[in-house]
Amino acid sequence: MKKLVLWMVMAPVTGLCLSFMYSPSAVNHPSSKTGKLIISFRNSVDALPLELNKTYINSLQEPFKVTRLKYYISHIELDNTSAVITPDANYFLVNEEAPVSKTITVPFPAGSYHRITFLLGVDSLRNVSGAQSGALDPLNGMFWTWNSGYIMAKLEGRSPASSLPLQQFEFHIGGFQGRDNVLKKISLAFPGGKPFVLKAGKTLTIDINANIQKWFQGPRSISIATHPSCTTPGSLAKQIADNYAEMFSIVSVTD
Amino acid sequence: MNVKRSTLSLYFIILITTSFGLMADSCSKKVKNNIATTPLQPDIPEGFPKPVYDFENNPLTEEGFALGRKLFYDGRLSIDGNFPCASCHQQFAAFSSYDHSFSHGFNNAFTTRNAPGLFNEAWQSAFHLDGGINNLEVQPLAPITAPNEMAESIENIIRKLNKDDVYRQMFRSAFGDDAITSQRMLKALAQFTVSLVSADSKYDRFKKGLLAFTPYEERGYALFKQKCATCHTEPLFTDGSFRNIGLPAVPGIDDLGRMKITGDPADSLKFKVPSLRNVNITVPYMHDGRFASLEACLQHYNNGVVKSATVDPLVADGIHLSNTEVVDMVAFLRTLTDTTLTKNPRFADPEHKAIFSPDRH
Ligand code: HEC
Ligand code: HEC
Repeated sequence: MKKLVLWMVMAPVTGLCLSFMYSPSAVNHPSSKTGKLIISFRNSVDALPLELNKTYINSLQEPFKVTRLKYYISHIELDNTSAVITPDANYFLVNEEAPVSKTITVPFPAGSYHRITFLLGVDSLRNVSGAQSGALDPLNGMFWTWNSGYIMAKLEGRSPASSLPLQQFEFHIGGFQGRDNVLKKISLAFPGGKPFVLKAGKTLTIDINANIQKWFQGPRSISIATHPSCTTPGSLAKQIADNYAEMFSIVSVTD
Repeated sequence: MNVKRSTLSLYFIILITTSFGLMADSCSKKVKNNIATTPLQPDIPEGFPKPVYDFENNPLTEEGFALGRKLFYDGRLSIDGNFPCASCHQQFAAFSSYDHSFSHGFNNAFTTRNAPGLFNEAWQSAFHLDGGINNLEVQPLAPITAPNEMAESIENIIRKLNKDDVYRQMFRSAFGDDAITSQRMLKALAQFTVSLVSADSKYDRFKKGLLAFTPYEERGYALFKQKCATCHTEPLFTDGSFRNIGLPAVPGIDDLGRMKITGDPADSLKFKVPSLRNVNITVPYMHDGRFASLEACLQHYNNGVVKSATVDPLVADGIHLSNTEVVDMVAFLRTLTDTTLTKNPRFADPEHKAIFSPDRH
């Protein structure tokens, strides 16, 4: 009987202790102080909306068509505040072929904000952390298998200026370590100089334009004739990344 | 008393069921969707350094290991069904390609490098002879998608596996539900490859004082510590660095090694220092399998080193061994063979099918 009493006390105590020990680590749950941040990307060639397989002219007077355009957006912040999502969910692949991928919706703390910041690419830690899922799944065709690492941004197309078979050109831009690092932190101030307010339960929508022309013409001129292909980390990839880092601009912010 | 007893037992039943309910709910790591996994402890031999592999990110389980093992031996990971991982990584050869300088892949194509043995991978910080792969988990993407190896796509493998009830059941057992994803497949494969530990050779038993070396082996070991151990460092028999030991590039293949990854001319002709564990059974030798015997390797160190800007100072002037020293050294290198690894039934083909026809191993 004594033993029984002891059990009656110990069992619930042990049970409780165990349940505390294994309680899942605190995850940020969208709370009542959270609104929704919607970032909508549109791609263009200068003032013209980008359409796949349509001919445009780059600033070096080379006609070109885009067949594929993809880039990673990660670590989105407004001022110094981050989205209310798990670290695993902090990566987005904008893919011109998949219209839904061009709109990113994340729960975000309510507040008054002046600027948006994000990383164009995948941070170095995730490049060395083994098998990933979601936007980082190697199925997305953005992972180099022979030289581990993510392709941060990819532009493929055709141009008569290219000397490659089928007049292809392909820019697969990656590299995350040391002097090959092409990660770009993009920071865009909201227009009008005044803050925009995200209220709890409401949305803040940011329309961002990415001008593909910048891949060819930024701090450097990259002509398809001289560089029809860039598929490894290195100095050419860095130059192209310096160029495309300038492609984003805010079209509008709506609160 | 009777009443008392039944109330008591009722109390107990409620208590036990609720506390179990609570536990099952909260131990989500070990019990997912009411599917229990059996945790496995990583095998970390005495005297080995801390593993590089992040076991916390991929906790070993009996179920994950079993799935990885099945995948490793499954031809469906290759386009025509003929080239599972195990076709190039054979257990009896410490998971290297025995007696082939280049391994056979799809469509009679050859790999451009010699398949190394697979063991003690948890202690490697870079994979492949050029170190191009930075994590064991993503390594399989390279052979699976290479046109001269398995020539398959991950999408297609997932499609094939999804058609197989056994696989769906095994993914469920290992990961809690039967979704077959690249991440789960890669983590399971890593659970298998990371478990291939080699630490029970004659050398290891000698180090533990369990047996004695012959005089040849003893002299060979002394020589080894003096002339080779800077690069082939105990207990892993590699320091993980990339070095050029003066093997000239073969025209037509022109494998520049580490430079292929870094683009840095200072890395030209540097290759990862291979572990010498099991070296006697991983013939042929060097990144391209150019030497067919241990004696030929020693001959290279003796007088074959071709000097170039990146050749390692430790070997630039050769490492000279007399004929008797060569005999001693080879005797020592043979003590590194670990039959506990090559004969472990846990690492063998789970379906015991004979995948190696005599003309294609
Ligand atoms: C066609 C032959 C072939 C097949 C099939 C193959 N491999 Fe390999 N494996 C190789 C070769 C060759 C290398 C060396 C590659 C290099 O250094 O560039 C290698 C290297 C490795 C390494 C790196 C070892 C180290 O420490 O550097 C691992 C791990 C590995 N293979 C695992 C696998 C797995 C898992 C599979 C199945 C998904 C597989 N291999 C399929 C030939 C093959
Ligand atoms: C400067 C560092 C260095 C030293 C010193 C050194 N090695 Fe090596 N060893 C290497 C590297 C690097 C390779 C691989 C080269 C390649 O694949 O092209 C290698 C390959 C080998 C191989 C072939 C292994 C295989 O599986 O292909 C053997 C055997 C070997 N070394 C034995 C020795 C012995 C015995 C000594 C001492 C006499 C020695 N090494 C000294 C760096 C070194």
